[in-house]
Amino acid sequence: MSTNAVEATTITKRYGNIVALDAVTLSVPKGSVYGLVGPNGAGKTTLLGILAGLRSPTGGTFSIASSRVSVLPDTPRFEPWLTARETVQVSATLADVPNSPAAVSDILERTGLTDAADRKVSGFSRGMLQRLGIAAAVVSRPDLLLLDEPAAALDPQGRREVLDLVADLRGESTVVFSSHILDDVQEVCDEIAILTRGSLVYQGTLDGLMRDVAHGYTYRIEIRGDTGPAARVLRACNWVTQIEVEDSVVFVSADSTVELESELVPLLADVGVPVVSIGPIEQSLEDVFLDVTR
Amino acid sequence: MNLWRVEWLRIWRTRTVWILFGIFIFFGILGPLTAQFLPEIVERAGVAGEIDLPPPSPELAMSQYVGNALQIGVLAIAFIAASALAFDSKPEISVFYRTRATITEILTPRYVVIAGTAVAAFISGTVIAFVLSTALIGTPDALATLKGSALIALYIVLAVALVGLMSSLISSVPGAALLGIGTLIILGIATMVPYVGPWLPSYLVGGFDMLVAGGEFDYWGAILVTMIATAAATWASIILMERREV
Repeated sequence: MSTNAVEATTITKRYGNIVALDAVTLSVPKGSVYGLVGPNGAGKTTLLGILAGLRSPTGGTFSIASSRVSVLPDTPRFEPWLTARETVQVSATLADVPNSPAAVSDILERTGLTDAADRKVSGFSRGMLQRLGIAAAVVSRPDLLLLDEPAAALDPQGRREVLDLVADLRGESTVVFSSHILDDVQEVCDEIAILTRGSLVYQGTLDGLMRDVAHGYTYRIEIRGDTGPAARVLRACNWVTQIEVEDSVVFVSADSTVELESELVPLLADVGVPVVSIGPIEQSLEDVFLDVTR
Repeated sequence: MNLWRVEWLRIWRTRTVWILFGIFIFFGILGPLTAQFLPEIVERAGVAGEIDLPPPSPELAMSQYVGNALQIGVLAIAFIAASALAFDSKPEISVFYRTRATITEILTPRYVVIAGTAVAAFISGTVIAFVLSTALIGTPDALATLKGSALIALYIVLAVALVGLMSSLISSVPGAALLGIGTLIILGIATMVPYVGPWLPSYLVGGFDMLVAGGEFDYWGAILVTMIATAAATWASIILMERREV
């Protein structure tokens, strides 16, 4: 039995001459929160549409090991003449799951819509529609939940609630979560895929991304006086991949942290370089993302 | 709450039911009144010259009703049907339904509720025209009125199916409604073609007048073609909707 909720192999989608997805291959582990990251126009919505069965791929194959799939578009809309409670009831009925008044009220409370439960949807703000979309998606108890930019339209409090809700679903449902808000992805996702211009450029854990794609590790060394001796001795080391000097600061990069942690300080001490401070530079996810999608 | 309940709520809360019943009941009242009082209205309006108006009769009352009500009624039915059947015009709402139910499950209640409401509205107007005509002028032939109404009901169901077919070809509500109306107009013009005309669905519309005026029932060919066309349009719209990407 597969441990993946989604297996996609060389999925391609063309609209005339435009390639929206170019041979995308990915695996989404069951029960995980999976982030689909990429700039606008990268193909995230197209990929989610294919996984939801709303669009057909031009090429490639995919399988979904889930009987119940729910989708939340980036700007959800509902029948304006239904109330929020009725919308959730319709969703539950169509999914053939119990939709007792208590169950519906519970999901409306979890999404912060208790006060608006019996109001018609026509008067809802974009943020409220987003919450209602999540309520309607979650109430059907999906095995696979596809969320397209679920927090994009929300205020900070709404965003926090959505992220908590998504985190709560971990283990209960597989969540594929598209976003270009990297902080959100970093907070809730177990694994990510980075799409750019229709191609998958990375798939794996965030730690793996930082380790494998961030082009090694860099230390910042601030020196009192001349940086020349330090730069010379470091350039002579075969484990050093790059040296940069800016005023009294030397940046030294390596493929692994082992030598940086064990050899850097003794080396500088041996040549008597007066070191003011020394430490690793943390590359942010944003730096890595920009690097990968450039 | 299932999709049948959703469709009933749609026609109530969007006031569709009031619009349709309002149109047909209005003309159901107007038809007998104009048949009875048109000579007086023309005289009081001071129209110059001599106008040869037919004498008031139950047949004229019913004919006035059907002629006027269907012109406006079919327009309203087409736009109301398009707003329910062209649900891909709002892709986000379409995603909500398409990811939870099959196209057949989505479309069936929409077709049935819209067509059923339109037919019920037409029948209610017919009953009012019949009662008013009886009170003011004379009693129309009840059996002929019943048969004529059945022909118009078939035509209304076909109109809804045609708008449904257009909704599967074009996702805009006004576009689907206008294409449906355009198709009905072309069918109406084609009725004048010898030999072919009596087989076309539009031939049913004239049947009401003819039957109430004492004409023979020779509409089986048009009935058969209308039923086949309705089934074919419905089937094609389901297939095309299933193939459409949103």
